[in-house]
Amino acid sequence: MLYCSTTSIHPSILKTLTPHHNQLNPSKSKPSKSLRQEITTRIKCFNSRIQKKSEPRDYYEVLGVSTDSTSQQIKEAYRRLQKQHHPDIAGDRGHEYTLLLNEAYSALMREDFRRKYGGGGGGGGGGGKRREGFGSNFSGMGYSSWNGPVRPQALFVDENRCIGCRECAHNASETFMMDEDLGCARVRVQFGDSEKKIEVSVDSCPMNCIHWVESEELPLLEFLIRPQPKEAHGVFGGGWERPADVFAAAKYLQKQLKQQQEQKQSPTGQAHAEVETPAQAEARYQAGLKLQWRQFHEMWGWITGLLGRETS
Amino acid sequence: MAEQFYTVASDSETTGEDKAQTPLPNLAIGIDIGTSKCSVAVWNGTQVELLRNTRNQKLMRSYVMFKDDLPSGGVSEETAHDEKDILSGSAIFNMKRLIGRMDTDQVVHASKTLPFLIQTLDIGVRPFIAALVNNVWRATTPEEVLAIFLLELKGMAEMHLKCPIRNAVLTIPVSFSRFQHTRIERACAMAGLHVLRLMPEPTSVALLYAQQQQQLLHENMGSGCEKVALIFNMGAGYCDVAVTATAGGVSQIKALLGCPVGGEDILQNVLRHLLPNLDSFCADHSIEKIKSMGLLRIATQDAIHKLSRGQNVHINVDLADGTKVSRTLDQPEFEKVNEMVFEQCENLIKQCLLDAKLTAEDINDVILVGGCSNIPRIRSLVLGLCKKEEPYKDIEPLEAAVHGAALEGAIALGISDPSGSLDLLTIQATPLSLGIRADGDTFVPIIHRNTAIPARKEVVFTTSQDNQTEALIAVYEGEGMSVVENHLLGFFKVTGIPPASKGTAEISVCMDIDAANVLRVLAGVLMPGGKRALPPFIEVRMPTLDHGHGWCGQALVKLYGTALDLATIPKKMQR
Repeated sequence: MLYCSTTSIHPSILKTLTPHHNQLNPSKSKPSKSLRQEITTRIKCFNSRIQKKSEPRDYYEVLGVSTDSTSQQIKEAYRRLQKQHHPDIAGDRGHEYTLLLNEAYSALMREDFRRKYGGGGGGGGGGGKRREGFGSNFSGMGYSSWNGPVRPQALFVDENRCIGCRECAHNASETFMMDEDLGCARVRVQFGDSEKKIEVSVDSCPMNCIHWVESEELPLLEFLIRPQPKEAHGVFGGGWERPADVFAAAKYLQKQLKQQQEQKQSPTGQAHAEVETPAQAEARYQAGLKLQWRQFHEMWGWITGLLGRETS
Repeated sequence: MAEQFYTVASDSETTGEDKAQTPLPNLAIGIDIGTSKCSVAVWNGTQVELLRNTRNQKLMRSYVMFKDDLPSGGVSEETAHDEKDILSGSAIFNMKRLIGRMDTDQVVHASKTLPFLIQTLDIGVRPFIAALVNNVWRATTPEEVLAIFLLELKGMAEMHLKCPIRNAVLTIPVSFSRFQHTRIERACAMAGLHVLRLMPEPTSVALLYAQQQQQLLHENMGSGCEKVALIFNMGAGYCDVAVTATAGGVSQIKALLGCPVGGEDILQNVLRHLLPNLDSFCADHSIEKIKSMGLLRIATQDAIHKLSRGQNVHINVDLADGTKVSRTLDQPEFEKVNEMVFEQCENLIKQCLLDAKLTAEDINDVILVGGCSNIPRIRSLVLGLCKKEEPYKDIEPLEAAVHGAALEGAIALGISDPSGSLDLLTIQATPLSLGIRADGDTFVPIIHRNTAIPARKEVVFTTSQDNQTEALIAVYEGEGMSVVENHLLGFFKVTGIPPASKGTAEISVCMDIDAANVLRVLAGVLMPGGKRALPPFIEVRMPTLDHGHGWCGQALVKLYGTALDLATIPKKMQR
């Protein structure tokens, strides 16, 4: 360090510290800026020079985060991946990948810094389109209302199987109703009639499509059984759809929602500590490939050098 | 070198045959070689254990006594040498302040008041160091002294663990140059130790902090979010500051900075205050003078310790030649004498926060470690700068560094712990910038300081002369704008540049630092358009230089002038 062991004898090392650092800081940002540009353009070592310039998008992929993720998410992803691939843990084979991680992280944090302080903002931020999964507009509210207190069990009509016989609505008219448009029965009020009436109506269903379900699952099932508008592509598609097996769909959606919630609750993201996204796997593979390539390259250089010497 | 001298004596003594057959255990010890005190720790399978010597000490005074034929560090001896013996001129201590330093170095010059002999010729070579043996000054080197001491520490650890030990993680000051790293490695090799990692002291404290935070999380007491800690470590020889961000057992070093100022400087300042003609008093190194200096040193040290608790202290020492030091030293006087030291500490912290792009408000915890952290002024200064009332409590100031080193040793060897207390990682950062000489004497950094390790950066340079076919790559380390302010690590020549007008050829210089902090520099010529095959690149592991580096740079300039110089590529020409 400049103030500890320079060759020049400087009795006033103490004095030099302050002015030096003050001098150092603005200058640090100045030449490094040009260098930084150089680094991003020629970022890879010569062995991979042919590779085109790294896009911000690639950096996001390396860390396995979406382009609209916050700096907190980037940090978490970085730490998680470091913990798997750092040479201290993964051995020497983690070297190349960790290099990539460090590079991506510093670039993204820089970008984040810029975005935060109102600089460019165009650097890949906000462009990410979050894929809307099935059930993304699920509100958590059920369709049916409750007559009296909420009980652990609730009634649910699998409308896919209902043939519209009206038996249930006839036997327990306060509980069930008919959806004339779709031609099937539906629960309007849970326990709207006496238990006996309900029992009769459940038994009377020729398709056995009236189910006792857990009250917790009810809102999800009722949401899923409502036909959702289908995405249209010109004349194709469009219309309405609902899952063929509503119970399986509910189970799946439940799991997804739970995961989302967990992610929200645990900012360390430990729930997915072991998962590697395909992009990460790809990046890692590429990093490995680069390493092999370098060896080949060195070999090639050596051979050409040898040949050159022989011919001359 | 006399490496065969340093065979482990304890190996053959205790069940040597069994050991030869069994493979070396997967074990690494952590060693904290302090300027004044040393300690050894090991991961014993469930936790870190500090090893004690036969006198039941965890912290051992670092010195090597050259009294008899066999030099000894007194680690495992039944009776310790007392401080008077150590200051008699026969013992060498403060190795850490001397190792890898040239005789032009300010720190070496400041060490001349020590009781053993230090001669400097001020030409940029290793200083001459000697200990008094039977009234003869016997020369030695800091590396040798350190090796003897490490050997004893190793022997002690082997006795405890009942198996041979090869691997070690050593803690070092942040401000150590790469050349000093090689000297430490050399001393370790002489002692039969393989250096797994050289860990800057505050980063090893940071690892311990990360483990503690992780444990709090497991006990559902801490929050899972990121914690930022400022670690201030000031021992007898060095002062280091680091800022670490910790989450999920990963300690990410945001910035680190250090300088060679410590308790020794404080002691020297007070000595000079008490005895203004200190340098001339110590100059002749007569036995009487050494003796009375020793007395004064002990008394002063004692006084400084007492000042950590009380407001004033009386010093009364009778020096042999009729001079008598008898006076009262009070707190304000002590602080005034050491104003420069405190100022330096303050600047380090400010700069480190600046480097980490953080302010005092971002800091969650302030960790004070090292012997000097007991000085009231230092405590108030650090806490004041970080706007905190109290420092972090759960860290033992004198044992934290070795604790972290033992953890790092276990992690680097891939030992896993079922309870998850080894589920840790330190992401280290480079404490100093690395770059090459270009555009005359300008230092052009390639890897900037506080870059996360492992790191790799490539920068393309060009020629500075027409039809230049060779270029000199001179690698420097430091923060100075000009290369002369920085440390020369090594140099080599890139040949086979196609003759062209200046500024057209492209010479690529790539620096690569791996997780063990090994620096490799790769350089070669890039062919325009990639038409012709590339001539082979040159890969050099740095540093390649021994001491006397100041000469090499000057000699190169003298011999070649600017003929082999490199230039940076102007910004507008870069794509």
